[in-house]
Amino acid sequence: MRERYGIGDGVQIVWHDGYQEPYGPPNGVKVAKTVVFEGLEAAIRRLPDTAEWERFFHAWKQWEDEVAGRTVVWVGTDVTQGIVPTDPADRRWRDAVGVCYQRLAAMCCRVDRLWCGLAERLK
Amino acid sequence: MIVFVSGAVRSGKSEVAEACARSLAHGGRLHYLATAQATDEEMAARIRRHQERRTASGAYWMVWEGPARLEQLAESLRPSDVVLIDCLTMWLANDLFVGDSWRTEEASFAIAGHLLDDVRSLADACRAVVIVSNELFSGGVPTDPGTFCYMKTLGWLHQQLVAEAAVAAVVECGLVRVKKGRWPQ
Repeated sequence: MRERYGIGDGVQIVWHDGYQEPYGPPNGVKVAKTVVFEGLEAAIRRLPDTAEWERFFHAWKQWEDEVAGRTVVWVGTDVTQGIVPTDPADRRWRDAVGVCYQRLAAMCCRVDRLWCGLAERLK
Repeated sequence: MIVFVSGAVRSGKSEVAEACARSLAHGGRLHYLATAQATDEEMAARIRRHQERRTASGAYWMVWEGPARLEQLAESLRPSDVVLIDCLTMWLANDLFVGDSWRTEEASFAIAGHLLDDVRSLADACRAVVIVSNELFSGGVPTDPGTFCYMKTLGWLHQQLVAEAAVAAVVECGLVRVKKGRWPQ
């Protein structure tokens, strides 16, 4: 991902890993030019509230727009193509992921679907 | 060369990979590296189905059971031979969970690195290696550390193999969707 999207400057990257810990808000991030959110589906699992996520996406979009050259990268696994889960909480989570990905894709200037390292550009 | 064939469960990926290996062999010898172990009756039936289909195809396959026979297979290879590996998912699972490697990412990636080297060596010693794997990344990422490590290393292996493969395809409903290179006819 670093190579493909030219994310090369380690000093100016803030990397959030949704598999490890909750994401942080944009206030206070002044120096970094690039912010990466990995494991988005796992982060959504902890908080399957699409309205809350939409506010969060907008806050980061605003941060990106404030200074030229800033980029926010969202990375998520598609968990929406399996069997419908029997557990209602799992269904809510999966639905929330689908809705969040739609909202994000509408906001992003570029959307790629990755298969084995090959990127298919959707937008 | 390496041909990478992936697909969902019951997508027809094995049939497609077998046909691909046969057409690549041009009459050369066909090797089959079987990685599944019959852990229960359902699995045994699954293996039998694959065996029967290979017999029915009319081609002669030299079958090597499990990665334990890998060294012997490598020694017997001729430059005109074709090797079919079915499948990568089982192979990695066997190697990862036979010991404690799955407990850390470092050890898991070391296992995956060895596996990749093995595939490369085979590919260097014969005409083609056709390797089958599974599309298992769309059902969510489990939180238990073993499965998490497994998915991460399998995903990494897929990326390396597709990068090095001359041809990469995903099989959906028995249909081949070529993602890279030209499908061997």
